[in-house]
Formats: sequence, structure tokens, C-alpha cells
Amino acid sequence: MSNSGTPSSETPPATDSAQEAFGSTSTTPAPAPAEPSGPPASPTTVIANHKKKDTSKVRFQAIGNAPILKQKVYTITASNKFLAVIQFLRKQLDYKHSDPLFLYVNSAFSPAPDEIVHNLFKCFNTDGKLIVNYCTSPAWG
Amino acid sequence: MTQTQQSSEAPFNPVARAIWEGSIPIEISWDSAEANKYGAKERCLLMTQASRCSYLPLLTNEVWRHIRNKSVHMSLDQSNVWYEYEGVPLKWHYPIGLLYDIHELQAAACRGMMDSPPLPWKIVAHVEDFPVEKLIKITSENSCQDYFMSMIKEADYLRNGSTKKVMNMSKSDQTQLWDGMWTKSYELFWGMNQKLVLNDGTMARYLPVRIYLPENCPVVQEPVSPMDDEGNPRTLRQILNIALPDLFPLKDTPGQPARASVLIHGIVPSLDSSALWFAQTMAYPDNFLHLVVIINI
Repeated sequence: MSNSGTPSSETPPATDSAQEAFGSTSTTPAPAPAEPSGPPASPTTVIANHKKKDTSKVRFQAIGNAPILKQKVYTITASNKFLAVIQFLRKQLDYKHSDPLFLYVNSAFSPAPDEIVHNLFKCFNTDGKLIVNYCTSPAWG
Repeated sequence: MTQTQQSSEAPFNPVARAIWEGSIPIEISWDSAEANKYGAKERCLLMTQASRCSYLPLLTNEVWRHIRNKSVHMSLDQSNVWYEYEGVPLKWHYPIGLLYDIHELQAAACRGMMDSPPLPWKIVAHVEDFPVEKLIKITSENSCQDYFMSMIKEADYLRNGSTKKVMNMSKSDQTQLWDGMWTKSYELFWGMNQKLVLNDGTMARYLPVRIYLPENCPVVQEPVSPMDDEGNPRTLRQILNIALPDLFPLKDTPGQPARASVLIHGIVPSLDSSALWFAQTMAYPDNFLHLVVIINI
């Protein structure tokens, strides 16, 4: 059977953006989203607000024989794509592009690299952290 | 003898069937510079009536056959093929109907054009310079199926807080979803899919909904319950109001046109119907209700 092509095994292009996107976990918590008040915002403002930066906490959990990270929780810019999470983890593990690495959320599914971290965090976080499991062979289909 | 699969009969649902049968005429041409380079005398590769629920990679076999036939020399393989519309790379893991609604209908509305743009939808195929910054690289012939199943699992997780419903399906039952999709068999697909979208009669925790704003805005996905705090079913308007309160007020201002509307499968639906009904009937085969926002200028 083919075990290739589980989505988050995508080999991303090499950039430094992933590194920049992450900070230490001890930074300030994410600011609360602004409550809507007063007259409704214009469509331009609504779109601009959805593009602005926020942060989410990500907890990495190794599965099987995948190497364990010393620091497990990181803060990431929430407007980033999941690709940035994949790139960051690869860098932390010092994995080459050809080394297989599979990422899952909540031991359940593999988000596409273009999914927005903020959306994943809002929909799937556990106690304020997005749980990302990783392993060196496909785990959950 | 008895069938091994426990697939139930596809539901009698004229709306779901009409959505399933929705299609768009597409004309695929080869990029002119590449066609020249590879000695192709003619750029037009394929005219096809593409299912809205299908995916571009499912057209690639045929596109590739024409590219091979037209080119004098071609050393690449078909995993290099990608598509664009008016210079914008098309995400191959989005359903074709969603791509059309975003890149053609939503874009036309943004330019103030209210009439439907002329068909066929004319897109361009490339074999070189795969835009790795914009598109996910296709790593195997199963890539499209893998992404499709990941979406179904994510939708299942939103409904149930786990992927048990999908994972409890046998491998062949899971494969039946994909097989039904690419063979365009309503019976095969919906016979299995109804177990997922109807959630065996239990109320979904959250609805699998994604909202697409114009101007390349990040996709909006919120955990929204199909029921309000009093246990009444929420309408599509209420769901949109939770995600985008400024664009979708609960009540339109009298005498003023609505600020925004949505497209589902190219249709502008009434926002006052049950959101759960939309999610169960008008979701794409990936189990997500994809809502494309049109700003009324």
C-alpha cells in the first residue's frame, strides 16, 4: 500500500519565516479579540481585521519513535498558515526535506498546509493550546 | 450473496442530487510560452463539463495526454501540472465549484459586475515553474484523495469532537466516499456520506463551515453550534452573524440593501433557512459547507 502523500508530510520550501513566526512560550498571552460595538465596520475593515496578527499556543507531542523536543509549547503568529508550523518543527528536529514527518491535530487529522493556525486554534484547541502530534510514519490514515 | 459493505441506500433528496449534478463548462489551454517552448501548434487542451464537486487533479490525466500528444519533446511528468486563472494559481485541493465561485463569481462581483460572466470558464495549464509558495506540491497520485479524506476527518471532528465516525468505517467504506466522488456516483457516495452528515441522528457540536471573503482574505472558520443557547436551530444568517457580525447583521436595515450575501455552489440562498439543513444538504463532498461572500457595493 502506498503510504505517501499524507497531507502534512508536504515538504515545504526552505524559508526563514517559520523561525520568525515563533517565539518563546513565556511571551504575553494573545490579546482578546475586540468586541463589536458601535456602527458596523465597513467590508474593507472586516477584511483587514481578518488579516491582522494575533498569537496562538502550540504544543508538540511526539508519537512512536519520533524525537522529543525539549521545549514543547511555543507561541505562533495565529495568522500564519499551518505550513509555518510544519517548517518550524522540521527546523527544531533538524529534519531534511527528504525525511518523512507527519503532523496531526489532536491525534485525529492532518490539516492542509494552507489552513490558518488561528482557525485550527479556535476550532480544536485543548485548554488553550493547539495539540500537534508528529511522527515519522503515517499514524491516523 | 450478501454484500460485504454495510452501505445504506442513498437518500431521496432532490436538492442534494441537484447539487451533486452541478457542473461548469471549462476550457483548459496550455500556457502560450510553454506551448511554444515544447513545439505545440495549438494551445487548447480540453473542453469539458466539469463536476462542481470534483477536483482539478482528476482532469489532469486527460490534460496530460493532450500535452504529450501536442509536444515535440516532453521530459517532465504529470505531477508538474498546475492550473491558473488570470495569473492566480488555483488550489487543486479545493473543489472546482468553489474555485469558480471564488475566482470568477466573487471576483466579478468585486469589480461591480452583477451579470454572470460568460462561460466556459477559461483556465490555463502549466507544466513548469510550479508555484511552491502558493500551491501544495502534489507528491503522489493519492495526494488528492488524502486531502479529501483529511477534510472529511476534520469535519467529523467538528461535529463530534473526535474522528470516531470516520475511523470506525472500514477501509472499503472510507474508499467508497472517494470512489463515489470521482466516479460521480450519487448512490455510491451518498449511500456512505449520509452516515457522516446526518451524524446518526445526533446533533452536531459544531458545523463544518468555511467562509471565503474577497481580496485573498484568510479563510474564516469558527466553531459554531447549529443550535442557539435556547436549543433552537440557528439560521444561516445567525451562523454568518457569529462569524462576521459587521457584514451579516441579524436584521437588515429597512430600505437598505443587505451589505453582503453568500454563494453556495454558485447559488445565492435565503439566509433564513436552517444552517444545519444547509450543512447536511449543500455541503461539498468533503463535508464542509463552503460559503463564498459577495459584498454588495
